[in-house]
Amino acid sequence: MSLLEAFGEGFTRRALLEAVMVGGLCGVVGVHVLLRRLPFFTMALGHATFPGVVLAGLLGMSLFAGAAVFGAVVVLVVALLGARDRVDDTSAVGVTLSGAFALGVLLLSAQAGFSRDLTAYLVGSIVTVQPGDLVTTAVVGLAVLATLAALHKELVLGAFDRGGLAALGYPVLVLDVVLLLVIEATVVTSIPAVGTILAVALIVAPAATARLWTERLRATMALAAALGATSGVVGLTISFQWRLAAGATIVLVAAVLFAVSLVVAPRHGLLARRLAHVGPGSAPTSSRA
Amino acid sequence: MNLFEPFTIPYMQRALVEVLVLGALAGAVGVLVVLRRLAFVGDALTHTVFPGVVMAHLLGRSLLLGALAFGVLTAVLLTAVGRHRRVGDDAALAILLTSFFSLGVVLISRTRGFTADLTVFLFGRVLAVDRTDLVQTLTVAAVAAIVLAALHKELVLRAFDPEATAAMGYRTGTLDLALNLLIALVVVAAVEAVGTVLVIALIVVPAAAARLLADRVGAMTALACLLGAAGGWLGLAVSYEASVDHGVRLAAGATIVVVLVGLFLLAAAVAPLRRRRAAAGGHP
Amino acid sequence: MDPDLVLVLRRATVAYDRDPVVEGVDGEVAAGQSVALIGPNGAGKSTLIRAVLGLVPLTGGTIQALGRSPQAARRQVAYVPQADILDAEFPVSALQVVLMGRYPRVGWVRRPGAADRQVAARALAEVGLAERASARFGTLSGGQRQRVLLARAIAQEPRLLLLDEPFNGVDALSQDLLLAALARLRAGGAAVVMATHDLGLAHLACDEVCLLNRHQIGFGPIGTTLTPELLRATYGGQALQLRGDGVIVARP
Repeated sequence: MSLLEAFGEGFTRRALLEAVMVGGLCGVVGVHVLLRRLPFFTMALGHATFPGVVLAGLLGMSLFAGAAVFGAVVVLVVALLGARDRVDDTSAVGVTLSGAFALGVLLLSAQAGFSRDLTAYLVGSIVTVQPGDLVTTAVVGLAVLATLAALHKELVLGAFDRGGLAALGYPVLVLDVVLLLVIEATVVTSIPAVGTILAVALIVAPAATARLWTERLRATMALAAALGATSGVVGLTISFQWRLAAGATIVLVAAVLFAVSLVVAPRHGLLARRLAHVGPGSAPTSSRA
Repeated sequence: MNLFEPFTIPYMQRALVEVLVLGALAGAVGVLVVLRRLAFVGDALTHTVFPGVVMAHLLGRSLLLGALAFGVLTAVLLTAVGRHRRVGDDAALAILLTSFFSLGVVLISRTRGFTADLTVFLFGRVLAVDRTDLVQTLTVAAVAAIVLAALHKELVLRAFDPEATAAMGYRTGTLDLALNLLIALVVVAAVEAVGTVLVIALIVVPAAAARLLADRVGAMTALACLLGAAGGWLGLAVSYEASVDHGVRLAAGATIVVVLVGLFLLAAAVAPLRRRRAAAGGHP
Repeated sequence: MDPDLVLVLRRATVAYDRDPVVEGVDGEVAAGQSVALIGPNGAGKSTLIRAVLGLVPLTGGTIQALGRSPQAARRQVAYVPQADILDAEFPVSALQVVLMGRYPRVGWVRRPGAADRQVAARALAEVGLAERASARFGTLSGGQRQRVLLARAIAQEPRLLLLDEPFNGVDALSQDLLLAALARLRAGGAAVVMATHDLGLAHLACDEVCLLNRHQIGFGPIGTTLTPELLRATYGGQALQLRGDGVIVARP
């Protein structure tokens, strides 16, 4: 059954609306994630808030509350661990991610209906989105966008030159935390659509794609939002047509857009760069130690 | 709590051998992952192997083969991506990782029993390991161990001083590919026991804990193997006890990971004390 | 080619995306000789060193090390990077770091043997760190770590030694020991090329100098080439002060 045919159904319209809102929101937030090089952290956040979401679900609490609390705990743990000698940031994130995720699995496994719920949390279940979820998404989305708009210049400066921001008298740490909370809120909002594992894709891919086409920041955000929403709609359509998991299909569409752009984008695309330089490639700098 | 009694049962024995071998192997490979701060790459590999497992399952072939094929493919891809960073290495990795993973999810979503299958692939079914599985795991583990032993000194050199490694004439790209292949082998070996999501814990956590306590690569490796194996054993024992004696079903794989993280936290608590004692006793 | 010549550069040029990073480097280094690469930051010293190591391709001119291409000659060429770029928490001892210099000779799969350990121990002794052999690399001071890296290069038994700013942030004692070890290497027939900011040490350690600022400004004996005029040309007219005994101090 195609999307058009199913359009008459309530769940279809809701899924579509959710896909557009979540896609757009993730696109904008994704630009900040890339600016501060936080994709791994975002992925870890997705994995690590999983137990919070499970716990909230089990206790009948708001998913947001559960995720928010757990997210804050995770951020704290990663920061504390990473500050110790001999624990580098990457390992700190790796340990926290694994531990939190396993905790979530344990909590769920102790309940019945294990598999079904787990899957919904992990890879989304957009077709079961309820009107209440839509309202939540809209409210959170607006709050996030308003925050980002209000703090735009500070966040951008902070991403480029943390020292400079501090020197100007801004509370750098507070701004960092605000951004992390924004990312956290976005991840949680994406769960019904694409689940915790895939949320990072919808946040990172449209933004990465947009960056290949434009250098101006606001244009990047607008483009990223558009690409995110488009991935949502196209992905949903394809998933209806061929009866595939919706969240995963959305992510695949976003990834394809990225891959295509990687090759054809003027100036930053692979083709463009191949045509531009005639000499040898760059000196191989020592890759990550 | 009884650490030995559960393992008189055949299926528990097999599970134990499986986690002991996996724990030790993952710990040894994990040392290099941690020293080179490659946890993200390791994580990416675990996600990218997933569609291979799914495809093998759908085609009725050995899961191991499917995982192996994709493991090799993605190890090559990840090595290439790692060396041509323009998009921002982490972003490219994240996209690669999630698109492969999505591919796996999409493929499996067309089958019935979608959610149950997904769970098994993601989290494993260590208690359902049979003799064939065990033999397969041991074979893959043996191959990985041999490769690791053969290349060990060069891999450590690469981790310590990439510039000198290149200056001495080694091809760092080849060494990177070798390590990525090793990680892929570990993931492949672990797929049925703990699943693709939790294997990253086996790789990173014991090694990260060993790092805190060891001053030499050799000691770090030995300790990582020990912790990995111990985590497997304790995890199985705890999960068995919980389900049999207390009626609480705790997924075995997840329990193992939680135990490992607990060991890590223990190491993190003990490490500063050890350092202080060493500083007081020996030279600064 | 004269068998005594360890390194020959003929109009060597390295470019990146059509932008030349360093060009027109022309000169020879014979066995036992030592050349200082001098120039401001961004002059191309590190790039030139990498080109001699065969790590970056030339876009013009040629480089011959020991009569062969840089890649072919690598077994006989040793590199000493700056010690502070290495992870101080890495779990290796000083001796283990020096042993790493033997890996190319040991080859794949095999482990260093007793003979290798002896060579490594001797190299460590040469830089005055024999009694710190089993100390963790990161517990040593900056100067000591630099000495360990030189020992690693010595353990390679090279005929050409390349050093990148070996005296940066190094204490006086370590400096003396490094200079002495380098002198012994040269006496044994090895050639040395070192990038450095320190003109005083260049005088002490080297007999030739190559002045670089993205292109070669001079290459010759240090007495005749390290002149105020050429230095001004190299450093782009930055403030220079002349001291009485002819040692010129410049702000890099």
